Amino acid sequence: MHVKPLVKNLLRFTNSSQIYLLGALLIAFLFAFLASISLGSFNFSVFELFNSSKTSLHTTVLYEIRIPRVILAAFVGASLGLSGASLQGLFRNPLADPGLIGVSAGAALGASIIIVLGSSLFPGFIFGAFILPIAAICGAALVISLLYVFTRGFGYQGITYMLLVGIAVNAFASVGIGILTYISTDSELRGLTFWTMGSFGGASWYLILPAIVVISLSMFWMIPSSRKLDLLQLGEPEAYRLGVDVKKLKYKVIISSAITVGVSVSLSGMIGFVGLVVPHLVRLLGGVNHSYLLPGSALLGAGLMMSADLLSRILVQPAELPVGLITSAIGAPFFLWLIFRIRKI
Amino acid sequence: MSIQASSISWEINGKKILNDVSLEINHGEVVSIIGPNGAGKSSFLNVLSGDIKPTSGNITFDDVNLKEITIQERSFMRSVMSQSQQIVYDFSVKEIIEMGWLDRGIASYSEDFKHAVVNVAQECSVSDLLDQKFNTLSGGEQRRVHFARTLIQLWRPSASKDPRYMFLDEPTANLDILHEQNLMRLLKEKAREGIGVLLILHDLNLAAKYSDKLFIFKEGSLIKSGPPEEVLERDILSYVYGLTMRVERDPLRVNYY
Repeated sequence: MHVKPLVKNLLRFTNSSQIYLLGALLIAFLFAFLASISLGSFNFSVFELFNSSKTSLHTTVLYEIRIPRVILAAFVGASLGLSGASLQGLFRNPLADPGLIGVSAGAALGASIIIVLGSSLFPGFIFGAFILPIAAICGAALVISLLYVFTRGFGYQGITYMLLVGIAVNAFASVGIGILTYISTDSELRGLTFWTMGSFGGASWYLILPAIVVISLSMFWMIPSSRKLDLLQLGEPEAYRLGVDVKKLKYKVIISSAITVGVSVSLSGMIGFVGLVVPHLVRLLGGVNHSYLLPGSALLGAGLMMSADLLSRILVQPAELPVGLITSAIGAPFFLWLIFRIRKI
Repeated sequence: MSIQASSISWEINGKKILNDVSLEINHGEVVSIIGPNGAGKSSFLNVLSGDIKPTSGNITFDDVNLKEITIQERSFMRSVMSQSQQIVYDFSVKEIIEMGWLDRGIASYSEDFKHAVVNVAQECSVSDLLDQKFNTLSGGEQRRVHFARTLIQLWRPSASKDPRYMFLDEPTANLDILHEQNLMRLLKEKAREGIGVLLILHDLNLAAKYSDKLFIFKEGSLIKSGPPEEVLERDILSYVYGLTMRVERDPLRVNYY
C-alpha cells in the first residue's frame, strides 16, 4: 500500500552506512529467528527445518508450537520497538514508551477484565477468542484518549503531564488488575499472572494470523511517516510550515501504536522496556533520522524479543521463565544508564 | 504578483490582538514590520503563514485565497523563520538544513539538491559546521542553520519563476554584527531574484537601511506604511514607542540615546 513512499524515503534520507546497518540488523534478525526455531526442549538442526522426514511428534512441535510462538515473539517485538520509536518521535521525548505512558497497562486491564469477567459479561462469546484482543485494544485506546485530554492534544508543554498521567494510569490499571486478581478463581488467576508477566506460550496459528495481519498493516501505515516525524523535531509550528499536517500525523502515530500495542499485549501480556530501550540502541548505533530509526527499531525489537523468548525457554528447562522478567531484567539497568547519560549532557 | 492582506482582525478571549490591518507584499521587495513589544507583529506573521485563522479579513497569495491553498502547497510558496524550539535528538547540521527539502515529485528538483545544500551552507557561512551535531552549536550558529533551512525550502532548480515569499521573525537575534550584515545582504539578493521578503525587526536603523517599505504597528493596528523616509518620522516614532528620538536624513538614521 505505502511501499513506494517507504522505499523513496528510505533511499533519500538514509545514508549508506545506515543502509548497511539495517542490513546487519536484518541478518541478526534472521539469525535469531533460526536459532529460536532450532533450540528448545526439542532441538532441530537448520537442515531438519527444511526436511519434513522427521517423526510426527517432532513435526507437530515445530509447526504447531515452535514456529507460531517465534513468529508471535517477532511481531510483538517489532511492534513494541516501532511504536516506542514513533511515540518518542511524536512526543519529542526520549522517555516515551507504550509502557511508561500507561498504554500497555490499559491494554492489560482490558484483557484482564475479559479473562475474569468475560464469561459472565458475554455468555454467548460471539467473537470467541477475538474478544480478548478487542478488549485490549479498547483499553489501550482509552488510555491514549485520556492522555490526549490531559495533555491538551499532546502539546509540547504537556509532556510532564503526559508522564504523570501515565503514572496515574499505571496505578489505576494495577488497582483494577488487583481487584480482578482478588475476585478471580484459581484458573483465572493463572491466566492473569500470565498477562502481567508476559509469555508467548499461548501462541497458535488460529490466534496469531489475524494479529499478524493487523500488526503488519499498521506498521506499513506508520513507517512511511518517518520523514514527517523528522520534521516534527523542529517543533509543531515549524513542521506545519514545512507542509506537515501535524494533527493527522499525531492521530496516525497514536492510533497505530494503540492498535499494535493492544494486539501485542492481548496475545503476550505485558512485556516491559522493549519499546523504551530498543529505539535508544538503534539511535546509538547509527543516527536519529526516522527513516532509519523506525525500520531499525522494528528489526532489533523483533530480534531481541525472539532472543529473550529463547532465553525464557532454555534457561530453566524443563520449566519456563516469563519473558517479561527477562526483558525487564535487561531493560531496567539500561534505563538507569540512560538517565545518567541524559543528566551528564 | 503579491500577497494582499485586507482588514485582518484577530481576537482571542475577547482581547483584540490585530485590528483591521491591511497591507501588501510585492515580489522582489524587502519589507519590514517594526513596533514595540506586544504590537501584534508576530501574530500578524502567524496569520500570514496560515498558523492562525484571523477572526475576520482575507489573505490572498497571488490572487488565490489562503484558505484555498493546502498545507503542502503553502510550504512550496513561503518559508518561515521564527523563534525556534529546542531539538531533542542529535541531528547533524546537514540533516537540519535538509529538512527544508520538500518532495515535489520533480526529478531535476532532487538531482541538483545536494549541490544546492553546499551552496546555501556557504552563503550562510555554516559550511564548516555541516557534520557537527546541531545541539552542540551556539545560539547564533543555530540561528544561521535555521536560516539556511528556510532558504533551502524556497530553493528551485533553475531560473524558476514560481512565486515565493519569506517571512522572518527577528532573524538577526543572537547574531554578531558580521553575520547580521551578511544575512541582510543575502536577503536583499534573494529579493532581487524575485522573492518577497517580510521581516520583523527591532533595530530601526537596520530596517531603514535594508527595507524597501516599512510597516509600523502599535497595539494591533497598522499606524503607517511606506518607504523608510516617510515612516521613520519623529512624531510617529515618539507616538508609537513613547520615547523621544532624533531622526537624521542622508543617510537616514534614528538616534534614541
